[in-house]
Amino acid sequence: MKSLFGTHIHLTGRVLDMRLKRQNVVSSNLANVKTPGYKARRVEFEERLQAALDLDSKGRVTRTDKMHLPAKFDPNTFGPDFFKSIEPRVYQGEDAVDLDKEMAIMAKNTLMYNALTQVMQKNFEGLKTAITEGGR
Amino acid sequence: MSFMKSLDIGASALSAERTHLNTISMNLANVNTTRTPEGGPYKRKTVLFKAVPVETPFAKAMQTELERELRGVKAKAVLNDNRPFKQVYDPGHPDANQEGYVSLPDINVVEEMANMLTAMRTYEANVSAITTTKSMYNKALEIGR
Repeated sequence: MKSLFGTHIHLTGRVLDMRLKRQNVVSSNLANVKTPGYKARRVEFEERLQAALDLDSKGRVTRTDKMHLPAKFDPNTFGPDFFKSIEPRVYQGEDAVDLDKEMAIMAKNTLMYNALTQVMQKNFEGLKTAITEGGR
Repeated sequence: MSFMKSLDIGASALSAERTHLNTISMNLANVNTTRTPEGGPYKRKTVLFKAVPVETPFAKAMQTELERELRGVKAKAVLNDNRPFKQVYDPGHPDANQEGYVSLPDINVVEEMANMLTAMRTYEANVSAITTTKSMYNKALEIGR
């Protein structure tokens, strides 16, 4: 769909959603650091996103004929994968959540989220400039 | 969408840790207590943590698989630790038995201090989870500016 807002804005919005979900899951893990038998959860979406964008390591599929379906990104076709660690290990009443790992994931996630909001903001600024300055 | 859920989860952990900290200070305060309303010397208390779903059952049914798996934490119960009492020879004590021994709760101050540190660190970790989530929301609000 050709419209005022390009797919990249939809894409950025979708990735922001995923990052928020990851933040929720990390909070859930952090809250249960001391719960015996709790299994750490993970959200993975990067690979699925690459596949949806047709950019994965296998290389993109080339359209050699105009009858081929175009591989166009649709932000609604992909979602996150969700992982539970399989085996809860209980030692001395402690559990399978690694605090350092969770904090690192959280820091990384927040940085990326903030960076993406910047990207989005710049997108809108660009649009605004085009609208207000274009006629001059 | 799970908007404020991360904050709810963080809050549940903070309140559970607070209960834990209360229990630890209760243990420390009662190191020498020989009389309790239940009778007998004070018994050391421990907290039982349980992972609980953040949503009501109905809201849960409407969610995606991922959101159904989110768990907060709850201090489910404060339990008695059934380790035997420490026997201390103190014939002048009003609660001393025939042989002059007093039963005191077997509370190890070092152990309680270590528990207190873990409780504090967990609390801090959850506070920083809440803070970062808040900063993310603030960033999101800046998008339209």
